[in-house]
Amino acid sequence: MATRASRSSRTPARRAAGELEAEVLAALWAADGPLTAARAREAVGGELAYNTVQTILVRLYEKGLIGRVADGRRHEYFAVKGAEELAAEQMQALLSRGRDRQAVLQRFATSLSVEDARLLQAMLRRRR
Amino acid sequence: MTISVYVPAALSLLLAAISRIVVGRIAPTRAVVFVVAAMLCAAASTWGLVLLSATLLGDTSMVAEEASERGVQLQDPVPQLIGVTAVVLLVSGVFRVVRVLRARRATTQELRAVCSSCGTGELAVVALAAPHAFAVPGRPGRILVTQGLLSVLDGDERRVVLAHERAHLQSRHHWLRAATEVSAALNPVLIPVREAVAFLVERSADEHAAAVTGSRRLVAAAIAKVALAGGADGGVRAWSAALPFVGCGVSARVAALHADPPRPEPLVPSSVLALGVATAIAAVQATMAFYQLVYWLWPS
Repeated sequence: MATRASRSSRTPARRAAGELEAEVLAALWAADGPLTAARAREAVGGELAYNTVQTILVRLYEKGLIGRVADGRRHEYFAVKGAEELAAEQMQALLSRGRDRQAVLQRFATSLSVEDARLLQAMLRRRR
Repeated sequence: MTISVYVPAALSLLLAAISRIVVGRIAPTRAVVFVVAAMLCAAASTWGLVLLSATLLGDTSMVAEEASERGVQLQDPVPQLIGVTAVVLLVSGVFRVVRVLRARRATTQELRAVCSSCGTGELAVVALAAPHAFAVPGRPGRILVTQGLLSVLDGDERRVVLAHERAHLQSRHHWLRAATEVSAALNPVLIPVREAVAFLVERSADEHAAAVTGSRRLVAAAIAKVALAGGADGGVRAWSAALPFVGCGVSARVAALHADPPRPEPLVPSSVLALGVATAIAAVQATMAFYQLVYWLWPS
């Protein structure tokens, strides 16, 4: 808690190991195919040391959350989609529940009216 | 009964009106004030309904007559119609609370089931194209996202989503939402307060994500991207369109992140709290009036 209080609002906070694991795992899921440690580091973004990413990849691999293939002397890592169908079915069922159940779900972002969508698109374009 | 039994209902209306007006301007961390006020209002108005219902148990008009014969002016007794209405409102309120709690429990259980089929660790990813992210409370809490959400975002934006959901878990926002959902179920007048709190906890998580990543623009962009990617999801749109608030959605959050950071206003929270306390006082007064009535009903 003390570390958060001392964080300046401008400089990005240093990330704990658990948080980094989530970020690297997310990057592997977002990628189209297996990534080397160097590519994974790029995909995560931010200024992470190569060794940090390498360590996290090994840790995720040992936990069985990601898989890897050997590519010459390097390894390429990919997200393990073990219980893919079961989880997807469960989630699909959850999302198609009635109104009571939908109201409970706290979404990151709900979908938009046509007008809102236009506004947001304009905003994203300005940013580029 | 005194008029104080009806005061919580009137103050609930006032609270609902205030929450509609200030929701866009108040610092998001103030959500808890609305939660406390809503709980007090809901408790007081429900207690008022209990008291009014209880008057059906005895013939209050007779008691009042008897009392006035003895020179005691009992405050106006409750017409039977109001007693019956109170019973109906009370029963339907309890029914709605049960429904809300059941829906909450079932949804949380299902979310946890999805998480547990996605391996261990903080992050659970489902191979679905629709972009969704949920904070799943538990010990430990987990973050559930779809592959579709991760793949429309870049590394920094994915960090925003993780920080946003972590803020929900760390600040236990699900309790704030549950409290206002139950309050609004007991007293539907408080539905705008529930919506205001739902919006404010999202805003609060957005601001936390902005502090963690160091950029409010980045958070705004991530929200906009996810919202736009989910645009084809007709089912979700139908539900969100049914919400009574128009200006409390994604675009309001994005707009707030483009505006200056919110400054805490001392006046609004204290007045909202005062409102909640006033309903509690009214409830106590109503109870005393009721006690007086009971005293005349059953003089032991």
